[in-house]
Amino acid sequence: MFLRRKQKDTQPLARGESVLSPDVRRQKIQDRIHYLKQQIYYSKWCMTLFFLISFGAAVNFRFLPPISEQAKHLLGEAPPPTLISVGLIVYAFSALILILGRMNTGSVRFRGWSHIGYLSAFYLFYYYTGLLRGNFWSVFIAGLTILGLEGYRVWSACSESIKKEKEILAILDK
Amino acid sequence: MFNHFASKAIVPVALSITGFVIVCVLILYSSIKVDFLRDAVRQETSLARTVVSAIRYNMMTEDRESLDHIINSIGAQKGIEHLRIFNKEGVVMFSSEPGELKRVVDKTTAGCIECHSGSKPTVRLGSMQLARRFVNARNHNVLAITSPIYNDAHCSAGDCHFHPPHQKVLGTLDIGLSTESLDRRLLSLRWKMVFFCIMVLILSVGGVSALLKRNLLTPINQLIEYAKKVSANNLDKDFPKGISEIETLGQMYFDLAREKKCAETKLINIKKADNMSGRKGG
Repeated sequence: MFLRRKQKDTQPLARGESVLSPDVRRQKIQDRIHYLKQQIYYSKWCMTLFFLISFGAAVNFRFLPPISEQAKHLLGEAPPPTLISVGLIVYAFSALILILGRMNTGSVRFRGWSHIGYLSAFYLFYYYTGLLRGNFWSVFIAGLTILGLEGYRVWSACSESIKKEKEILAILDK
Repeated sequence: MFNHFASKAIVPVALSITGFVIVCVLILYSSIKVDFLRDAVRQETSLARTVVSAIRYNMMTEDRESLDHIINSIGAQKGIEHLRIFNKEGVVMFSSEPGELKRVVDKTTAGCIECHSGSKPTVRLGSMQLARRFVNARNHNVLAITSPIYNDAHCSAGDCHFHPPHQKVLGTLDIGLSTESLDRRLLSLRWKMVFFCIMVLILSVGGVSALLKRNLLTPINQLIEYAKKVSANNLDKDFPKGISEIETLGQMYFDLAREKKCAETKLINIKKADNMSGRKGG
């Protein structure tokens, strides 16, 4: 499974595939184009999901029932807002560095889903401390930047790969 | 548009730098705003304590006229939106607004609910919990503080009137200050930060664009022009110089073109020689 994923991540087809029959090769190229297009769709879906969560945060999650005293007692004291803000800065910085690093290696796999979890956690932390209204925009802009850059990286790398694969497909079809 | 080299290089840099700077600036703004607000609450609490100390003697001597005068004088100061004292039952006893006198305060409103949310009212709260922000009837933004007037030995053992010693809170002083100057400072800070973000964006995008244009885009365009000239059999060594990679490419184009021209000349000569020998043989 890991090897297959690794193979999908590297851009051109493996050398051994040149000895495959044209039909098999054509099928493999089409599969790969499908995989690459799927990565672009994933980035769009991830951004949409983030917008939905942000919409909930913008209205201070008022559709959720208020946290009961028992739950508050169970969860304990809210972390200090300064600590959450420092955490957000450190998270945004490291996420951007990682994405720029991936951009360098030319990886085509979309890795934005985990960011939805992290960003939602920041929204929830601020919500729990009662400071979501004042800090909504900082989490929203951080998410927009991180997911925007990840989406751009995936779109850029996948578009290039799709173009290459289509060129090979055209040669095979001749 | 996004397939161009320049946009591919600039978009990620501009997006990551601008996004990160905006996040940092927003967090910084939010933190400064909290600090400003805390300072304003601290000052207001201190003012409320000063007022309570100033009127304590008049309260003990039950000098209502002097009390009224003090409350009205302080309430008329610039920036003070309201100043009132209400008793334990919530009836306004003294106020800078004469229309408010003898009215009962709603204990469920902001500023009261913090102490009166439980079955038994809380006796002591932190200064931030005693503060509230709202827009008053004159459409002014107000930061108000409620400061409890506590019972002490002089009050419970006074000659003029008597408060039982077990009664911890005798009444509450409510003072509201306009936040106009605070809002003005925050607005000015907001604009400064917007300008800072725009400057960072211009510098990062402008810097990267200028460097790319100077060191990459212009030499590449010159190389393309040179390649076109060379393909049109115009052999000269006028390829772009200054950047070693581009220079090497230019030199390689030149060598390839020269070799191609030599091979073509040789081929033409061989053809000519073939033609000559064919004529002689014929």
